[in-house]
Amino acid sequence: MALGHSSAAWNGQALSRDGGQLAAFDPRLKLMLSIGFALAVVLVESTALKALFAVVGLSLCVIAGIPRAKLLRRIAALEGFMVLMVLLLPFTVPGPTLFSVGGLHASWTGLHQGVDILLTATAVVAGLMALVGSLPANVLGQTLASFGVPERLVALLMLTVRYLDVVGGEYRRMRNSMRARAFVAGTNRHTWRSVGHLVGMGLLRSIDRAERVTDAMRCRGFDGRYPILYPFRWQLHDTVAALASALVLIGVVMWSMP
Amino acid sequence: MVDALISVDDLGYSYCGRQHLFHGVSFALHAGERLAVLGDNGVGKTTLLSLLVGLRKARSGSITAFGTRCESEAEFVAVRKRVGYVFQDPDDQLFCPTVLEDLCFGPINLGMSEAEAVDVSRAMLEQLGIASLADKVSFQLSGGQKRIVTLASVLVMQPDVLLLDEPTNALDAHARERLLSTLLELPQAMIVVSHDKDFVESLATRSCTLQPAGLMAPLRPVVA
Amino acid sequence: MHVVDGVLSAPVLLAGAGVALAGTAVGLRTLDHRNLPVTGVLSATFFVASLIHVPLGPSSVHLVLNGLLGLLLGWLAFPAVLVAAALQAVFFGYGGLFVLGVNVANVALPAVLLGALLRPWIWREGALGTGCAFTLGAGSVLATSLLVALSLAFSGEAFWVAAKLTVLSHLPVALIEGFLCVAALALVRRVRPGFLAEAWQS
Repeated sequence: MALGHSSAAWNGQALSRDGGQLAAFDPRLKLMLSIGFALAVVLVESTALKALFAVVGLSLCVIAGIPRAKLLRRIAALEGFMVLMVLLLPFTVPGPTLFSVGGLHASWTGLHQGVDILLTATAVVAGLMALVGSLPANVLGQTLASFGVPERLVALLMLTVRYLDVVGGEYRRMRNSMRARAFVAGTNRHTWRSVGHLVGMGLLRSIDRAERVTDAMRCRGFDGRYPILYPFRWQLHDTVAALASALVLIGVVMWSMP
Repeated sequence: MVDALISVDDLGYSYCGRQHLFHGVSFALHAGERLAVLGDNGVGKTTLLSLLVGLRKARSGSITAFGTRCESEAEFVAVRKRVGYVFQDPDDQLFCPTVLEDLCFGPINLGMSEAEAVDVSRAMLEQLGIASLADKVSFQLSGGQKRIVTLASVLVMQPDVLLLDEPTNALDAHARERLLSTLLELPQAMIVVSHDKDFVESLATRSCTLQPAGLMAPLRPVVA
Repeated sequence: MHVVDGVLSAPVLLAGAGVALAGTAVGLRTLDHRNLPVTGVLSATFFVASLIHVPLGPSSVHLVLNGLLGLLLGWLAFPAVLVAAALQAVFFGYGGLFVLGVNVANVALPAVLLGALLRPWIWREGALGTGCAFTLGAGSVLATSLLVALSLAFSGEAFWVAAKLTVLSHLPVALIEGFLCVAALALVRRVRPGFLAEAWQS
């Protein structure tokens, strides 16, 4: 039983990331760009272009300052569930034979589809992590609010981020105390019952904490609204970047259309 | 000279990539000793304890427990069966519905059947004079009760060494006295991390200070 | 159980987004400053749970806990899952952008429905309560895997094998979640018998 590989990477990072070289751009631009980028990735049909987008997305991640090792681990985790499916595709899609194993025909068409899926998924997610994942959570919340996302949903987002470290830390300490008492997780009832107790106790403690927080917030006059503190400043280079990327994305999509 | 239960040589720790929390820490704990570790907040006393049972990985140096040099998780799992670690916050430790179930958790991890675990757990509660708490919901105990129960939950595993992290935290005078007399009667060697000077003085056989720059001050008799 | 972009067909994506949007809208109507913190905490808990792995033979699976979320939050589970899934996509790269709706719907819908169905009996002592708790944990995961499989199946014949494998591979996960849920709810019932009556639960 362990927090997945990404927990260490999480640790407060979302709240303190500086966005690397991309920090200078307006968060609204980054949010729009990430959606435009994803749309373009999905719309182009050529595998070569999808590959190009994936490379661009991953490069953006590097520019945004996401450490390469973390990036690779995350991409690997993303693919984990899907890789099996992609491996199956050559055998389930009819088409010209690539090779056959024991009466099973693998088709070029299926392989092609599988590769397309991997590239699309990688490119979209890389674009998201580079452009939106590099925003501090409070800025992300405000950006969403400025695009008309309901205030209460934004408040929920901010609170969730606020609690991730708290809940994660609480879980980590309880898990460590279990390990200190020689607990080794296995495939057995003792493990499931113990982890179940851990989850139940974690829930109760979380809810108690939430109640204390509610009280404290109400004492300070909280009425469900978060103050907007981050001043957006749309600058000339934002306009230039917006126009340039819109041109490129639309151009590529148009050009790839038959 | 008798071999140490736990010995630590030139131990160092740093948070991922950042500067050292401490380094060059060396000491040995022998049977019957009660070693107090003093030091300022944030100097890494809790971290030191968690290194000893492998909950974190040391950056440098070596840990030898019961004659075996420990590095892998498997080696530390063996250590945890013989070293009882009482956490600073009892709420991090008590996660089962009732006191009895929490006590059974460790013995089951040692390989006992549930019935055996219940027997030894009841016996331990009896021994510490808290048999009446067995079926209480651990969540609702008082601070002092929680502390004794966490102590019971590691003692029931019959450890050779106890690690205590700020055991008097949030205890009133009465609970503190009771804890002290309980600890003084125990045969185990101990490492106690504490701010509580009086408590340490009455409990420890020797003390040392963990310092920000890293070096453990030379071990010396307790001084007020 | 996140599906990634590039797999599902447009009608499936739209259907998923529609369900997610409707569910979130219903949830948001009951979200106010009193239950906001508890929803946030549970949303964070749900997020953290997806990082907790328990061994399954030589491999390991991560917890889902959507059943518990549905039981405790009702329709608020939709916004809670939406926020958690969006954060997972943006910060960890799980899932994707256009599949967000499908991923939210697949996880939240069974949780809300099973939660509502089992809520009247789940806090009972004895076999009935235990059975309900197991059904909640195992059923939510199983139903989610079924919905994932359906999303795949409706996107093309080529995915049928993958769809079947998705359900099969989640059977043991569902069993584990069932056992976990029983233990977790048994703990809550014993530690906090008045839990059901607490004010934030509507």
